[in-house]
Amino acid sequence: MIKNIFGWLFSPLGRIALLIGGLTVLSLAVWGISLTQASPEQPIQFPHNRHVNFGIQCLYCHPGASRGPVAGLPTQTKCWGCHQQMQITETSELLKPLVQAVENNEPIQWVPVAIVPDFVQFNHRPHIAAGVNCEDCHGDMTQVTIAENPQVFNMGWCLNCHKEHSVDNPELRTKLLDCGTCHY
Amino acid sequence: MKPIDLNEMGAIGAIAQEAEGKWGMVIDQDLCTGCQACVAACSMENNIAFVGEEDASYGRSLQWIRIERFWEGEYPEVKMTPFQPMLCQHCHNAPCEPVCPVFAAVHSPAEDLNLQVYNRCVGTRYCANNCPYQVRVFNWRDYERPEPLNNQFNPDVTVRRRGIMEKCTFCLQRIHRAEDLAKAEGREVRDGEFTTACAQACPADAIIFGRLDDPESRVNQLSKPDRGYQMLEELGTVPRITYFKEG
Repeated sequence: MIKNIFGWLFSPLGRIALLIGGLTVLSLAVWGISLTQASPEQPIQFPHNRHVNFGIQCLYCHPGASRGPVAGLPTQTKCWGCHQQMQITETSELLKPLVQAVENNEPIQWVPVAIVPDFVQFNHRPHIAAGVNCEDCHGDMTQVTIAENPQVFNMGWCLNCHKEHSVDNPELRTKLLDCGTCHY
Repeated sequence: MKPIDLNEMGAIGAIAQEAEGKWGMVIDQDLCTGCQACVAACSMENNIAFVGEEDASYGRSLQWIRIERFWEGEYPEVKMTPFQPMLCQHCHNAPCEPVCPVFAAVHSPAEDLNLQVYNRCVGTRYCANNCPYQVRVFNWRDYERPEPLNNQFNPDVTVRRRGIMEKCTFCLQRIHRAEDLAKAEGREVRDGEFTTACAQACPADAIIFGRLDDPESRVNQLSKPDRGYQMLEELGTVPRITYFKEG
């Protein structure tokens, strides 16, 4: 009975069909996983590597990191401060959205890449004050164009660093491993 | 029969009585007029949802602080007790903590407060059933915040979803902000530098929040008169809130 239903699979054509079907499922799965890992679509294909290689500090465009919870994403006026003096701004196709945003006085809708869940209250300031560098969490920006996350921001990863930094300070350890430090 | 020495037995209540605590509150019931300003301020500060008429009639109102008032005596000689703002007492010895199967109700060793970790909570509601003060509330639904109400969310506080227990946090987000600022300026948090939303809103100054571990703080100065008492003191929960009455 079973052989009657699946008998066609054992014919040469059936095996080829099986192979094609299997490959289709596999490639769909790979494509789906790659979608979850890809950086989101940005309004401007911003090359971090070029800006960092010019010697621009992270805090110039993301100044909130040194004084508060949110590092901030730059407005078009900040971009324009440098770009209006540059020849490439008028000629480059990639910079068209910036020119338009400035002319129409519309904000650039950057898509945040490094995000934590809603129930995590993250604050940049104490991390910078404790001597953590931007690249320790956000990766080396000289290597990427659009920002990518070198790792998943999950709790185990946070706690590993919190534990390492408080090995010889029991008071700090209590604070850094306390649930209420990040969740409220 | 030999009298039982709690200290000798290591009974946790007896030891906890000596513990000082970090943050505390004083509520003067003689000053409270029952105006509910604290209730409104708390809801605004902590993104507390409005449950609507139907759920409220089931007793599912979401309020982290409520104003209680009781009848004393038999009708017609009824006397009203003073208004009694009731919020999480942040017990040192909290009954809600040992019953949580997933450790979502935990004690914060750093701030010495009771925490509710929303992402751990699975909604068994054991903690609410074991709370003698009945101050824990449960999110029975995902409550809608229609435009433009969503614009008034406090970004420092998690918006709780359905199936999660919540309660007063002593405005932990404000504590953290003040501590962060103090640390950035290289000093300790000063008493009265910040306060909870309910204490800030109270027009009669009946609610006062501050540091318990600083003998000079306003909370400790006020705690000295003999008219202070703690809610359900006999349970040995060691609350962090002191009430004043008939002074």
